[in-house]
Amino acid sequence: MALKAKHEQQPVIPTASMADIAFLLIVFFMVTITFEKDKTQVSLPQTELRFEVPKEAAYVSITSAGQIRVTDGEDTSVPIQGLQDVDSFASNLAATYPDRPVVLKADADVEYRYVDEVIDSLKQSKVKLIYLLSDQKTVE
Amino acid sequence: MKLKTKRPDDEIPTSSMADIAFLLIVYFMVTTTFAATRGLDFSLPEEDDQPPVVDKQESVLVKILPNGSLLVDQKPMEIGDIVPYLKPKLDANPKKPVIIQPEPQAPYGGMVSVFDTLRRTKIIEGRGLVARHELPETFPEEDWDAGRNINISIPTQREIDSFWF
Repeated sequence: MALKAKHEQQPVIPTASMADIAFLLIVFFMVTITFEKDKTQVSLPQTELRFEVPKEAAYVSITSAGQIRVTDGEDTSVPIQGLQDVDSFASNLAATYPDRPVVLKADADVEYRYVDEVIDSLKQSKVKLIYLLSDQKTVE
Repeated sequence: MKLKTKRPDDEIPTSSMADIAFLLIVYFMVTTTFAATRGLDFSLPEEDDQPPVVDKQESVLVKILPNGSLLVDQKPMEIGDIVPYLKPKLDANPKKPVIIQPEPQAPYGGMVSVFDTLRRTKIIEGRGLVARHELPETFPEEDWDAGRNINISIPTQREIDSFWF
């Protein structure tokens, strides 16, 4: 008579801890996620000196083609028609949030006249602090 | 004899938990963009009604040309030569303003690199104009912080038109 083992061990892959690992990863991504106010893709200029930009800031982005998007820091950025609209954006911003710094996210290759007009509008609206967003430059 | 009935194990089905969790992970991975959150600060003059009068003759003018090259006081110069050129001038007069004036067609990146180069230097008591990397490692941080920044001015085209000409 063939002896039959009473309890045959079922081959099981332990998946109970899988969820733990997955949730750990979720927590990591949830903590690190920042919902960007401005998602414009630009190739930023590179600088060695870089300072942290405050979280509460307005954004003006300029692509290499000279397209401008703005946000006062509350909503995601919206495209504006041209340089003449920067004036109204800047004065609105200064009226609503007088002490809010403005982050200038401009492409390194954009013609300076666009940046000049934007800075001029911000100056006239009495914006006190501008940040020129940049990437880290590696020292040779 | 007591009959033993075979009853199913009371278990919470957790196998689908991982599926849900990984779905969430994929969502967060796709939506995460590592945002650029650093840059150069650039303070604008407080009261703009009467902008600080910068004497064009007394200052150093750094022009940026449309091809990205530099003209410092009308002389062509590489970006690395600016600080050595400025040193004797600023050592003699630490308040001497440096004006960055990019031409309208010049690339914005050119202005940023000149600004970055100038911002990395300070006028230190007893040493004159130096860049941080030229100082010994042991140089105290508070002495560096106490140094004086170069007086950099980046006038806009409107200011140039209305105040200089």
